[in-house]
Amino acid sequence: MPTAEKLRRRALVRFLLSAALVLLCLFLLQRLVTPKYAGDIVEGALISEYYAEAKDHDLIFIGDCEVYENFSPKVLWEEYGVNSFIRGSAQQLIWQSYYLLEETLHYETPRAVVFNVLALQYNEPQREAYNRMTLDGMRWSGSKLKSILASMTEEESLVEYLFPLLRYHTRWSELTPEDAEYLFKDYRPSHNGFLMRVDVRPAENVPEGRILADYSFGDRAWSYLEKMRLLCEEKGVQLILVKAPSLYPYWYPQWEEQVEDYAAEHGLLYINYLDLIDETGLDFSTDTYDAGLHLNLSGAEKISRHLGQLLREDLGFPDRRGEEPLSSRWQEKLAAYEAERESQLAALGKI
Amino acid sequence: MKNHAFTRSLLLLLAVLALLSLCACGGSGEKVIDRPAQTEAAGSDAPMTAANAQAETEAGGYVFIHNGVKVPMDAEASAIVEALGEPASYFEAASCAFEGLDKMYTYGGFELDTYPTGDKDYVSAVILRDDSVATPEGVMIGDSADKLQEVYGEPASVSGDLVTYEAGGMQLRFILEQDAVRSIEYISLAVEG
Repeated sequence: MPTAEKLRRRALVRFLLSAALVLLCLFLLQRLVTPKYAGDIVEGALISEYYAEAKDHDLIFIGDCEVYENFSPKVLWEEYGVNSFIRGSAQQLIWQSYYLLEETLHYETPRAVVFNVLALQYNEPQREAYNRMTLDGMRWSGSKLKSILASMTEEESLVEYLFPLLRYHTRWSELTPEDAEYLFKDYRPSHNGFLMRVDVRPAENVPEGRILADYSFGDRAWSYLEKMRLLCEEKGVQLILVKAPSLYPYWYPQWEEQVEDYAAEHGLLYINYLDLIDETGLDFSTDTYDAGLHLNLSGAEKISRHLGQLLREDLGFPDRRGEEPLSSRWQEKLAAYEAERESQLAALGKI
Repeated sequence: MKNHAFTRSLLLLLAVLALLSLCACGGSGEKVIDRPAQTEAAGSDAPMTAANAQAETEAGGYVFIHNGVKVPMDAEASAIVEALGEPASYFEAASCAFEGLDKMYTYGGFELDTYPTGDKDYVSAVILRDDSVATPEGVMIGDSADKLQEVYGEPASVSGDLVTYEAGGMQLRFILEQDAVRSIEYISLAVEG
C-alpha cells in the first residue's frame, strides 16, 4: 500500500510530465506555424543564416537590401582572399543594424564593418512585416530584446515576439510543405548573405525624388550611427560607410552632404558608389534585375571587385586563400554559388 | 483514479494555454503580415466612376481632379489610369521583399502612385509637380501661404515648411519655401500611416 507521500510524489511527477508534454507540443506547434520564408519572400530567412557560419570573418556587411543584393562575398574571397558575410535584411532599420552589429561583435571581431547609409532616412519604426524579417531570425540575446523594443510599431507587442505562436497561430490554415520541411532546420537562400539574381531588367524612367519639407536625417537615426561608430571604435573595428549604387529610392544631394560631413568629422571612409558608376563599369542596361533598384549578379560582382581592390590595396586586408580549413569551406560555397548561377540561367533559358 | 488525475492536469494546462492564445487574438483584432490593406471606403471592386468618386469625396478626403477624372486616395487605380490616358513616363518599383509593384505614372504636371493589394493596385499618392495643374480648390505651386490658409483654413498640423490637412484617411500636404507653395501631395494614410 503506497504511503500518502508516495502518492503525492507520483501525482507531482505525472503533473510535470504532462506539463513537459504540453510544452513540447506547443514548441513544435510554434515551430510549425512560424514563417520559414522558404517560398516567395526568402529575404526573411537571411538573418538566421549567420549562426551556422564559422565566425572568423574579415569583413561584415550590415544593412538593408542595398547590401544583400549589391555585394558578393564570393568575389571578395575568390579574387582577393577576403572572408566576408552580409548581415542584411529587407528594410533593415538603423537601430536593427546597430543591434545586429552588437550581436555580431559578441561572436567575432572582423577587421572592418561596412554599413549602407540609406537606412538613415528612417527615424521611426515602419512596418511589422519588415521588423519580423529581421528580428525573428535573430537568436535570443540582450541585443535581440533591445532591437525588438526599439523596432516595435504601436500595433505590435513584446509578448508576440517572446511567443511567436501567439502571433502566427492563424497561419494554421495556410501551412505549406515548406513549413514541415524546415521544421527543424533553417532555409538558407543566400551565399554568405548575398541574394543572387541573374536576370536583367534595364533601368528606365527612374523618377527623381519628391521634394521634402526637411532633408535632415532624424536624431534617432544619427544617434544609432554614432553608437555604431563608438562600438566599432571600442572593439578596434574599422567602420566603412557606403551608399550602394541603387538608383531608386532617390539619394538626395542634401543627404549625401550630411553623410560626407559626418564621415569627414570622424575620419571614416565613405564610398558613394553612385559617384563611381564609370569607375566600376556599372551599366544599368545590363547590371540590374529590377530597373535600377538592385543590382543583378553581374552588377554586384562589379562593385565587389572595386571594394575588394580597395580592401587589399588601401586597407591592407591579407589574402587568406591559402588558409585551411577556410579555403576548403569556401570551395563548397563557390560550388553552391556556381550551381545557383547556372540554375537561374537555365530557368531563364540562357544556357 | 490515476487516469483521472492525469487527464485533469492535461486539460487544465491546455485550457490555460488556449486562454493565452485567445488573449493574443483579442483587442485590436487580427493582424496580417502583408501589404497594408486599402481602406474600406476604397475597397470596392466596382470601377471608378464620377458617382462613387463623389461618394468618397463626401466621405471626407480631398480629391485631385484632372480633366474631369477624379483621383481619390485608396481608390482602385486601373479605371483611373485608363481615364487619364497615356502617361508621359512610367516606373515600377518592387519592394525589398514583398510581391507586387509600387507604380508611378507621370503625367503633365503631376505624378500618380499606386500600391498593390491582392491582384489590384490602389492609389497611394498624387504629387503635383508644377503650376500647370492645381487642386480643385484652386491652389497651385507658387501660390502664397496666405492663399493656402484662405482656401483650406486651419491645417491639422504645421511642421517647419510642411503644412498638412487631414481628412477621410488621407492627407493633403503642402511644402512651402519662402512662404510660397513648392510642392502639393495627396497621400493615402493606408500606406503612410
